[in-house]
Amino acid sequence: MGFDLFQNLATGFGAAVSLKNLGFALIGCLLGTLIGVLPGIGPIPTIAMLLPITFGLDPLSSLIMLAGIYYGAQYGGSTTSILVNIPGEAASIVTCIDGHQMAKQGRAGAALAVAALGSFFAGCVGTVFIAAFGPPLAAIAQEFNSPDYFSLMVLGLVTAVILAHGSVIKAIGMVLVGLLLGLVGTDVNSGLTRYTFGISELWDGIDFVPLVIGMFGIVEIIRNLERSTLPRAQFSARLKDLWPSRKDFDASWRAVLRGTALGSLLGILPGGGAVLAAFASYTLEKKVAKDPSRFGNGAIEGVAGPESANNAASQTSFIPLLTLGLPSNAIMALMMGAMIIQGIQPGSAVMTKRPDLFWGMVASMWIGNLMLLVINLPLIGIWVRLLSVPYRLLYPAILLFCVIGIYSTNTNIAQLVLCAAFAVFGYVLLRFGCEPAPLVLGFILGPLMEENLRRSLVISRGDPMVFIERPISAILLAATVAVIALIVLPQFRKTREEAFQ
Amino acid sequence: MNIAPKWLLHCAGPAAALAAAVCAMTTDARAQDYPTQDIRFMCGFPAGSGADVLVRYMAEKVRPVANRTVIVENKVGAAGNIAAEHTARAKPDGHTVYVHAASAIAANMHLFKKPPIDAAKDLQIAAGVNKQPFMVMVAAGSPYKTLAELTAAMKQKGDKASYAQSNTSGKVMGELYKQVTGIKAVEVAYRTANDSLNDFASGVVDYGMMDPVFALSHTRAGRLRMLAVSTAERMQALPELPTMAEAGVPGVELLTWFAAMVPAGTPKPVVETLNKWFNQVLATDDAKKFLNSFGGDPFITTPEDGQALFRKHVKDWEGHVRAAGIEPQ
Repeated sequence: MGFDLFQNLATGFGAAVSLKNLGFALIGCLLGTLIGVLPGIGPIPTIAMLLPITFGLDPLSSLIMLAGIYYGAQYGGSTTSILVNIPGEAASIVTCIDGHQMAKQGRAGAALAVAALGSFFAGCVGTVFIAAFGPPLAAIAQEFNSPDYFSLMVLGLVTAVILAHGSVIKAIGMVLVGLLLGLVGTDVNSGLTRYTFGISELWDGIDFVPLVIGMFGIVEIIRNLERSTLPRAQFSARLKDLWPSRKDFDASWRAVLRGTALGSLLGILPGGGAVLAAFASYTLEKKVAKDPSRFGNGAIEGVAGPESANNAASQTSFIPLLTLGLPSNAIMALMMGAMIIQGIQPGSAVMTKRPDLFWGMVASMWIGNLMLLVINLPLIGIWVRLLSVPYRLLYPAILLFCVIGIYSTNTNIAQLVLCAAFAVFGYVLLRFGCEPAPLVLGFILGPLMEENLRRSLVISRGDPMVFIERPISAILLAATVAVIALIVLPQFRKTREEAFQ
Repeated sequence: MNIAPKWLLHCAGPAAALAAAVCAMTTDARAQDYPTQDIRFMCGFPAGSGADVLVRYMAEKVRPVANRTVIVENKVGAAGNIAAEHTARAKPDGHTVYVHAASAIAANMHLFKKPPIDAAKDLQIAAGVNKQPFMVMVAAGSPYKTLAELTAAMKQKGDKASYAQSNTSGKVMGELYKQVTGIKAVEVAYRTANDSLNDFASGVVDYGMMDPVFALSHTRAGRLRMLAVSTAERMQALPELPTMAEAGVPGVELLTWFAAMVPAGTPKPVVETLNKWFNQVLATDDAKKFLNSFGGDPFITTPEDGQALFRKHVKDWEGHVRAAGIEPQ
């Protein structure tokens, strides 16, 4: 096994390390970083538009470039989360919580560096993970049926409550509002539309991009503008301040390790693995921290853990695609399309029939991560300098990019109206001291939870015991009960309140 | 009369767009001058969806044939109806072409309470693109080797049997199959076909009505088996696979076909030109290979035959929607 692993990786590096393939990896990573940094412009439209160009390339080069865009966007997304509180994509929402606080305290450089280093480490581990355990892990993911997914989503939603640092009641309220927003659109089971008020733009549900940009980005801008003196971010160009201190490293390395482990495992599961991983890692860091009160006020572990987790997960989310031909998210589905066009049927056959392609891609993931580190570390200085631009000039630019990003997702004005509505809604929530992060988790996981709940019950012909009879589901539900116990136990509640008053 | 200077028309990018706008404002381009500006292919699904991949492929291939810039524009929403309405209301000059499943636009006439257009009246089929079947699938380890065996076993199993579907066509096909054979299997709905794979493998669902992309990839990987196609004739891409009628279940017929649609009232020469371009692309081996890899055949047709098929599908879907008990939205 060990020998095979090295031989396989050698095959892969042999295929991936050609000047041409390195060039495509670089183009992909640069493009990805760029679109990741521009709020709202996600990797999906970019990959879709580049797809026809890849028809003419050889399969490995085209897949390497597309994969580069994917990781690049992950890196770039954390940059905007930290600097301007706008998550480039779902998995970097958690990074906003502490990363942006760090930036406000003049520690943007440290946050960006830790995010980049943590992501690189997680990417390396994720790559080895795919090479060593891909096939057996894919087999485990195949054991997940509807009841197990339902229980996983329940666990995810309950842990979302811990995310918030205000009152538990408000956090639960936010999760529920998120669930309701997630239900808008066409119901999978009956085919009927719900909560659409006859507006055809809502039939496919509320889009993620306007919701997140409205509630995070625009609200942040309003909050900054309502101060009588516009904020001038503390800014220091001294190299010492751009780089994490010894203390920062001490605080974050364990978080990186834990985040990587969590992300590698959760990434394998289809459907939002990277998002779940980032949230789970944040929750875990807050649980194990000696002083949880630092979270939400610029704790570096709150950046290191989730950033490592989402990057590890975005690596391992290739496992179901490469070994089973199952795309675990929309980007993987696009990659699958790219493979089919190239005449390659994604799945275990790729490994045996085209080992150069399979292992070449695995190797290129590591190369891509290294390139991103090389691209991003020098850029930190430039990004941080961006904060010294007077806010009265910066905010219209941010607003403009947000609007372009939202409009470009499907060239529909209705999305901009939605974004404006969510900005107002988000501002009201802010005034009431409610946080948007649990809402977003409810929004993402809620529809999946409902769908799997109803499907489980159709399959079991209405018998709820199905959730306890299946071992995976039973374990997940037991974990959920344990988390609830932690929340309601009086002692925990006391420390929790002490921590946040 | 075209009064824009020739050199302006040859400029790429914004200059050409501007020139085109000037042309459009000043005078109607004559049909024989077509195309006089950039051509827009409308796509009713988001960038990156299966339909989008197909539209972008056609745009890429039509571009050199037409010797014109072809832009893909995603107008997403209402199951393709927003793009359909946009196309129907566009200027009927052949510069706005909706490349989409004509069968789905026909179906929408009955899936919507108030369809925004009268599909077969407001849209003109300029050319076909592809024909795709739906497949009756079982798990690779399933004991049923033919559709007849499956049907017999499902009759035995009664309402303990379950089947998977992940979209309207699959739902209709499932209902029609049940009505023709009198079996009582329970429908299990999935958001995407891929979500159903674990349930196929563990035997939770006995069979499924699935799309060809999903069906082909998992059949090749050895996880699922195809029993029959839903089309009236066998597919060139899968010559060994029987139709449902051949396999003993007549009366279940479902065909998905993509077409290039233009607003009604588009001059005939323009429609003919589009038809020529598409058919030229579809006749290439490259296009055949591309369409086959997604489980479809190239669909080469005339505008007249295409329109007749379109009208037939609008009529057929009325029955389909009623048969499947789908409530119009």
